[in-house]
Amino acid sequence: MIVALALLGYAALLLTASPAALARARWPESAPRLAIAAWFSLTVSAVASVLAGGLALMVPTVRVSADLSGLLAACVMALRAQYAHPGGAALTGAGAVLALAVLARITWCTARALAQAARARRNHRLRLSLVGRPDPRLGAVVVRHHDPAAYCLPGHGARIVVTTGAIGALDAGQLRAVLAHERAHLHGHHHLLVTLAGALSAAFPRVPAFRIAAEQVARLAELRADDAASAAAHRLAVAGALLSLGAGVPAAALGAAGTADAARVRRLIDGPAAISRTRAVSVAFTAAGAALVPLLILAGPAASARGMNYCPHGPAVAAQSAAAAPAAALHRR
Amino acid sequence: MRSFGELEAAIMDRVWLVGRPVLVREVWAGLRPEREPAYNTVLTVVEILYRKGWLAREKDGRAYRYRATVAREDYTAGLMGEALEASPDRVAALRSFVGRIGPAEARQLRKMLDQAVREGS
Repeated sequence: MIVALALLGYAALLLTASPAALARARWPESAPRLAIAAWFSLTVSAVASVLAGGLALMVPTVRVSADLSGLLAACVMALRAQYAHPGGAALTGAGAVLALAVLARITWCTARALAQAARARRNHRLRLSLVGRPDPRLGAVVVRHHDPAAYCLPGHGARIVVTTGAIGALDAGQLRAVLAHERAHLHGHHHLLVTLAGALSAAFPRVPAFRIAAEQVARLAELRADDAASAAAHRLAVAGALLSLGAGVPAAALGAAGTADAARVRRLIDGPAAISRTRAVSVAFTAAGAALVPLLILAGPAASARGMNYCPHGPAVAAQSAAAAPAAALHRR
Repeated sequence: MRSFGELEAAIMDRVWLVGRPVLVREVWAGLRPEREPAYNTVLTVVEILYRKGWLAREKDGRAYRYRATVAREDYTAGLMGEALEASPDRVAALRSFVGRIGPAEARQLRKMLDQAVREGS
């Protein structure tokens, strides 16, 4: 019971305290890949804690004993004791329902999001084949169209698409930057990361932490691709390409203007602040630690219970003494 | 071996290029120097495009004349608009290089960028 509460409490703590802090932090700007890992560590640990908490509610008093028969006996006794009063049975039921419901909801939403994205891409790829001409020199499909645009179509049969309008609006370095940016998306499988984070947010729309995580993962994937493009071209070439393609469209097409994209340009102009080694190591440890805590909560009582005999009159003890008796007898001879 | 989608694309390309209702024979002849598809293959694919709604046709003697139902520019514009429209589904399906940057902000950023380029060189 205490273990279950600790796990659920830890999940609640992860989901309320840390997202705002992580979203406000400055260091992800200089280490987007590490930050993506941190976001996944946070959300996955929270989900794992809820699942483990549900399981812990089902079997609240199990002690780990040195041998298997002892463990089984303890399990049987614990379950018998649990079902002996109606509250225990209700608790077990609640734990099972919680764990199963969370697991089923996540599986369903993830499968649906992946299938939807794959279908949308296949559809687009087929229609693109009518007007796109592969350009082996660019490693991209070129579409004759006056509006400047560039994007990548990930997944099966992945490709990068640029319009002639974009090629006309960019100089050689900027075009190289755009292509490197899109290649980084494809190589980093960013579409999967974004889809997974989005599916978690869609599965539990009332948990703001998952929505923030989805937004941040999408934003950080762009920063990561910008960094790869900066390595292939120059960061100012990436900034120039962003401005040419982002602002080169008539105002009619202006929807919710992306302040995130303006921030990308500013970040590239300012130049990246390198992340300190200490900071990187401490973030990596925190992220790994967050994932380990649920395991430790589960293992703590188990370790302290190890070796103690909680069932002096249980069948396991009887079996043990029965097994020991002939050996002792043999010894005496 | 040419993929099926590529032949469809080549045929639509021909129809759009000619710009008036064409016979299947003309489409086939237009493909000839580069590709060598059989006439019947071209006929089959043209009929598939007709059934999909990309081509319309009218009787001309014993044969049909085909024309594209949408102009190439409109088709492309629709496709690109779909690619860059920022609906949540699309965001996961494809990743656009950049969204829209407002004109006022773009001017300010352009000024900052020009200054950075001058200082750098």
